[in-house]
Amino acid sequence: MTQDTLECFILDTTETITLHELAECCGMSPAELDELVDYNALVPLPDAAPERAFSAHWVIPLRSAAKMRLDFDLDLFTVAILLGQLVQIELLQRQLASLQALLPAHVRQT
Amino acid sequence: MKYKDYYDTLGVPRTASLDDIKKAYRKLARTHHPDLSKAPDAELRFKDIGEAYATLKDSAKRAAYDELGHPQAGAEFKPPPQWQQDFAPGDMSFDDLDLADLLAAMGQGQRGHARQAMPLKGQDFESSVTIPLEDARRGTTVNLTLADGAGERTLQVTIPPGACQDQKLRLRGQGGKGRNGGPDGDIYLHIKLAPHPVFRPDHRDLYFDLILSPWEAALGTEVEVPTLEGPVLLTIPPGTRNGRKLRLRGRGLAAHNDLYALVHIDVPTTLSPRERELFQELAKVSSFRPRAATPQENRHDTRHP
Repeated sequence: MTQDTLECFILDTTETITLHELAECCGMSPAELDELVDYNALVPLPDAAPERAFSAHWVIPLRSAAKMRLDFDLDLFTVAILLGQLVQIELLQRQLASLQALLPAHVRQT
Repeated sequence: MKYKDYYDTLGVPRTASLDDIKKAYRKLARTHHPDLSKAPDAELRFKDIGEAYATLKDSAKRAAYDELGHPQAGAEFKPPPQWQQDFAPGDMSFDDLDLADLLAAMGQGQRGHARQAMPLKGQDFESSVTIPLEDARRGTTVNLTLADGAGERTLQVTIPPGACQDQKLRLRGQGGKGRNGGPDGDIYLHIKLAPHPVFRPDHRDLYFDLILSPWEAALGTEVEVPTLEGPVLLTIPPGTRNGRKLRLRGRGLAAHNDLYALVHIDVPTTLSPRERELFQELAKVSSFRPRAATPQENRHDTRHP
């Protein structure tokens, strides 16, 4: 058994990721990601050069969409729609958590 | 090598069209996907139908598979000798492979052509860890134990200060080993925050309930309140209303996030004679008319139109 100490890369809006790295993370090709950008499902960071770059918050929903693509044999356009829905669900879950935090404890328990 | 009947797995005849195969696969995938099915063998069933579909949807793989004839499922068989030259990756012997590996290897080169083994990325791992709010604020180190083909290993992972609920971290290159020069896989770590008896997180801010008496809220006071780093004194301004949020700057999950005291004003359920007397006197002398201040909240009260 070996033991190393490792630093993490945070997958949120504070970090960026290149097109090729995002493709590698999600098991998709850069050309497929470009197509998702064309469908406005995936939004690159403005003025990223020389390679397209993205906020790292895309990694998790895109990995989920890519996994469902494989699991259900979906086409890329369906993945584009799915990605939008996954991001929307994540946003709504976050809003729900915010509202729940505002509820007094005795209301949350009922 | 054991024969698997992929047509039977998908429930289609051997003459099925690609459309029929796809339709059958999607139907079964919807039924047996581990995220959708609660059956204990869902994962195994899903893997089997995925393996069958990966072969039958590809015309070259399906043709090669059909060359095997139709032995009994589970029966031992020997692949045609030509497959060794055409499909087995590198110097691998057929003995090291099962039917799924062999057919999967077909996708990495063209039959009948000399080819180089294709670089394959190592397996990604997903794991989750639950940490207390105190650790999320100050940062912590967690041990992750992973078991893969290389054996069991423990990784010590540093979680930076200010982690929040459902935050995802990537440990690049710490997953399974890549093959044929491919990159190593990654680990994706999902951070969960343990429920806290006092604080409720909202992203990197925290909330807690601060219960005040009517006179504390009306007159203002100083009360001791909890924070993740120990109690502090909070000044309650006079005239504090129910539901007001009082901010304790920099006391959230990250140094630049805040802790909020949510004010709830409570009243005594029983009154001593003296308390009753004082409240009655207050009722007489007070000019405070809470309903007059917010008439829209009482639009169903028809007694005072």
